[in-house]
Amino acid sequence: MKKLVVLLAALGVCFAFAGDPNTYVEQSFGDVDTLDPVQAYDSASGQVIENVYEGLYGYKGDSVTEYEPRLATSYEESADGLTYTFKLREGVKFHSGNAFSCKDVEYSIQRALVTNPPDSGAWILMEPLTGLFSDANTELGEGATDAQYDEVWATIDNSTVCLDANTVQFNLVAADPAFFSKMLFYAANIVDSEWAKANGMWDGSAATWRDFIGVDLRDYHLQNNMSGTGAYKLVAWEPGIRVVAEKNANYWGGAPSIANVVLQQVEDEASRIQALKAGDADTVALGARSSLPQVEGQPGIVVMDAAKDPSLGWSSVAVNAVFMSQEINSSDNTNIGSADLGLGIPADFFTDIHVRKCFNYAFDTDTYINDVLDGAGQVITMALPTSYLGYDANVPVYEFDLEKAEEECKQAWGGRLWDEGMYLTFSYNTGNSSRQAVAEILKSNLEYLNPKFKIDVRGIQWSQFLDERRNNRLPASIIGWIPDYADPDNYIHTFYATTGYYSAQTGFSDPEIDAIDEQARTESDPAKRAELYSQLGNLAYEKAPYILLPQGVPFIVMREEVSGYYRNPMLSGGWLWKDLSKN
Amino acid sequence: MFVFIVRRLLFLPVVFFGVTLFIILLMQFLSPTQRAATYVRSEAQLRNIDAIIEQYGLNKGPHVQYWNWLKQVGQGNWGFSKATGEPVWASFKRRFPATLELAILSFIPTMLLGVWLGSASALNRDGFIDQVSRITSIFFWSLPVFVLAIWLLVIFYGGLGWFGLGQVTTAHSLEIIKPEFQRYTGFMTIDSLLNIRFDIFLDVINHMVLPIVTLVAIQSAQIVRIMRSSLLDTLTQDFVRTARAKGLAESIVNRKHALRNAIIPIITLGGFTIVGLLNGVVITETVFAYPGMGKWLADAAVQLDTASVMAGAVFTGILVVLANMLADVLYAVIDPRIRYN
Repeated sequence: MKKLVVLLAALGVCFAFAGDPNTYVEQSFGDVDTLDPVQAYDSASGQVIENVYEGLYGYKGDSVTEYEPRLATSYEESADGLTYTFKLREGVKFHSGNAFSCKDVEYSIQRALVTNPPDSGAWILMEPLTGLFSDANTELGEGATDAQYDEVWATIDNSTVCLDANTVQFNLVAADPAFFSKMLFYAANIVDSEWAKANGMWDGSAATWRDFIGVDLRDYHLQNNMSGTGAYKLVAWEPGIRVVAEKNANYWGGAPSIANVVLQQVEDEASRIQALKAGDADTVALGARSSLPQVEGQPGIVVMDAAKDPSLGWSSVAVNAVFMSQEINSSDNTNIGSADLGLGIPADFFTDIHVRKCFNYAFDTDTYINDVLDGAGQVITMALPTSYLGYDANVPVYEFDLEKAEEECKQAWGGRLWDEGMYLTFSYNTGNSSRQAVAEILKSNLEYLNPKFKIDVRGIQWSQFLDERRNNRLPASIIGWIPDYADPDNYIHTFYATTGYYSAQTGFSDPEIDAIDEQARTESDPAKRAELYSQLGNLAYEKAPYILLPQGVPFIVMREEVSGYYRNPMLSGGWLWKDLSKN
Repeated sequence: MFVFIVRRLLFLPVVFFGVTLFIILLMQFLSPTQRAATYVRSEAQLRNIDAIIEQYGLNKGPHVQYWNWLKQVGQGNWGFSKATGEPVWASFKRRFPATLELAILSFIPTMLLGVWLGSASALNRDGFIDQVSRITSIFFWSLPVFVLAIWLLVIFYGGLGWFGLGQVTTAHSLEIIKPEFQRYTGFMTIDSLLNIRFDIFLDVINHMVLPIVTLVAIQSAQIVRIMRSSLLDTLTQDFVRTARAKGLAESIVNRKHALRNAIIPIITLGGFTIVGLLNGVVITETVFAYPGMGKWLADAAVQLDTASVMAGAVFTGILVVLANMLADVLYAVIDPRIRYN
């Protein structure tokens, strides 16, 4: 036994690594899906991409409304909003050594438009530049003629034009005030065209473009290789284990302070917290606020929490809501019981405004904030983050009030709902405990109102959740939205317009709201847009299409040796590695 | 013996087709949207679901899907693992050696400790060592893996800082990821020695200590219990009494006569233990952030990543057949009755 202890102690060499100012280590649970900026559509992948590749412009520090030039030096927008001309930075080199010029911009944007894989975020560029949404094959359908394809190619070819080696012009199909912010999304980052072509990616020509329509870019070289212009270059990615990057000594903006960046994937939260305490990780991802007490006040660890320090000004950009479907698929659907009042609900149950208002009043915001968000939550008045243009804090909200809920429910369905009762299920994807809590809160309050109200809370697997949502089989479910680009349209249109992605799924439609939304989409004066969105918010309050849930309040935990970080909600990683330093 | 081995090996193709066909058929219980879940990470992506289903051929019939998969495998392509973000074969090559290394280094002490403690407790029935080993083995056998793992982690990593998390320290991970560090075998212990990097070798061993201790503590508990009862059973049999009656020394009776017979069930169990170690290290690997197979295949199953699940099932099937074959060969070595029949 003694020998064993000696052996164990001998093996237990303590590697003090936290002191190494050259290496920054981050531990999280997210799996990088791809390193190709066009294919990527998740924050774990985005975090690597935004540090290795660059766009023409980028967000300035922690601001979502101020921008700074990256691969461009200036830009101009034409008076009609249809043309954007960018002057490009000269003397920039890719990590491969190739020189950067307009041909790379042209190639990168056109590559996104040509491939536009269905599970990617490339549609964000597709809409303003081609007027299409999906890739050419999907849009044209089977049996499309060569002439139709030629037409799409002509639009793509014309969308991005090099005026000279250092000037690029984008031609939009319709004015889009959000175009500039869409160009900040990583799908519009610039890849090294010579290097990509030499490694089996599309050659950029009209002759081969059709071979690359809608392809899975994970099968290509850019999946796990990168040649960008960013402050860091990729050393290696070991999928599911770690990503290692090192500084780009030739970075045009000056070499960054930290030499190596290591992103480690550690699934278990207890393990991550131990690593942070030991100094093996500089920062770790914490799943929920409830884990904070484990790291607060620990030596060497700094906790920055917007709930305790509002001067940080951090707010969440995630909008979560309870969706009340107005056109439920009633065929053989056990989620709505008998499909009629009494032992179920009819398919158009939620078209009655009184039902929606009753449910809104029955949601206990305080309980949600205390029990689910651990006491720190921000109520939102409309489906828009508080930091966004157009957010109006003065729009009224439905406060928890069981008397008003009862009043509304008594009026619903001409009094039949109150007399006959109802049965429906509230669904959430298993593992998501906060969504479960929302459903439980609503269940207990509604069942308290009237013993004839019966609600089942049902946890289902993610795959089944998607399936049932797609087929409109869920009467009420809880869904979230995080932004693709920093423009209110990305939320407002999605949630409120008849053709918006989420409103179309719930069957919500209101002509007055649509008119305001259309106007705001093309209005380029920010003050006027903000006014329009405020009007829209007030209207949406009256129509109560969703139950808006309070947002969580952000926080960061970091080793005290690290400085320079901030929190930009539009960056997948919150901050850029080049801005960090360590002592 | 040769015929026996060939017969067992002929069983492998049956396992291959049986297991994979079964999985493809099981997948038919899910709708195309459900099968697409692995590509759809947020509700927002649902809007393109039709194109996603089309692109990955998820609406095709099971025979088409199976044929496409077989054709690919025939060309040496096991498909793309969505769970890790690289081809299945690349994930396998990266992760299998790590798990095998861990499994072998856990298996040997598990068996030695289990057999030694089990026989010591049988031979000292109701004695001190028996009481201690019975209590500890029941304790470890009933202890959930993650509880023990987190205890060890908090004490020896977080508290004392003796052992590390992951496979190597961050400093070494920066070196082994570069092409200068040759990955000859994929086994980090061997590769670090081949690269003449004793510091990395010690570091790798250091990182394996806690996972190994966790696995050995829990796996050997079962061996102890089976070994003890098997030996107790054998000690009461006639041939043992005969051996004693012949006047043989007690140690020879125990070692040559009783032990050799009592160990047969342990060999069967050993076959299962190694399969279990290779498959069932999910929790240990997760807690210690050890980059092995278990974690990958568990993620793949949850995410309905069919390509990885199929490869994992084929691999496990082959492993079970081979481990059983090895156990059978060992029987013959140990028990002459089986050899001569």
